[in-house]
Amino acid sequence: MTSKTFSPLTTHVLNTADGVPGAHMALSLHRLDPHMVLWNLLTIGTTDKDGRCSELITREAFTAGMYKIRFETGQYWETLGQTCFYPYVEIVFTIIDQDQTFHLPLLLSRFSYSTYRGS
Amino acid sequence: MSVRLQHIKHHIFAANQCAEMTTPLLSPLTTHVLNTGRGIPAANMNLSLYLLDATSPSWNLLRTGATNDDGRCPGLITREAFIPGVYKMRFETGQYWEALGETCFYPHVEIVFTIIDASQKFHIPLLLSRFSYSTYRGS
Repeated sequence: MTSKTFSPLTTHVLNTADGVPGAHMALSLHRLDPHMVLWNLLTIGTTDKDGRCSELITREAFTAGMYKIRFETGQYWETLGQTCFYPYVEIVFTIIDQDQTFHLPLLLSRFSYSTYRGS
Repeated sequence: MSVRLQHIKHHIFAANQCAEMTTPLLSPLTTHVLNTGRGIPAANMNLSLYLLDATSPSWNLLRTGATNDDGRCPGLITREAFIPGVYKMRFETGQYWEALGETCFYPHVEIVFTIIDASQKFHIPLLLSRFSYSTYRGS
């Protein structure tokens, strides 16, 4: 992005089975259109070698509402030559105060995952 | 309310919760929801189970229910109906916390998982607080 401001929404994927960042995992960010009851695709991206994905959304575009981040977990493990119990993981969350920053990590193994609001 | 009406009310309430099926065979798919924020089972949480129809593609609703006092939902699916495929369990987490007078960061939680060998058992717990959740394949 041309501005120096960071995305108010960040993520960090960790492969807890191997103890490494979840690098090169495809993901997408969606916002629920409340009138149409549809998900609007906002951003697609891939985690970097540190498992992070910068520039998910700009401060201006980050309005209050319901969002979803979808992580292509099945595809990720397949690239590592393994299966995964979860073909994908979608985390749906509500943003009320868009002036805050929200860090949503995903800690993932082949048979488990967790997420939390971090900082 | 009279005692008799109270009994009837409790029967109706209990029927909405997941109950053991008439057959003694247990569901090959089970769940257990825990409220890690308060250290208690998450009772009376609405949930639903879906199976992906890959041809449409669309989700077929198999079952709705609610967790019992122990946060469990027995009788989710029969052994016969449990075929290989992609399933989704949806938990109404926002509604659950709202009933406790609190907000939740997650309006609902959907866990999508692939069953390859349907002869096994699959226990899918959900550990939930207002700002976090985790799940795993348990036993």
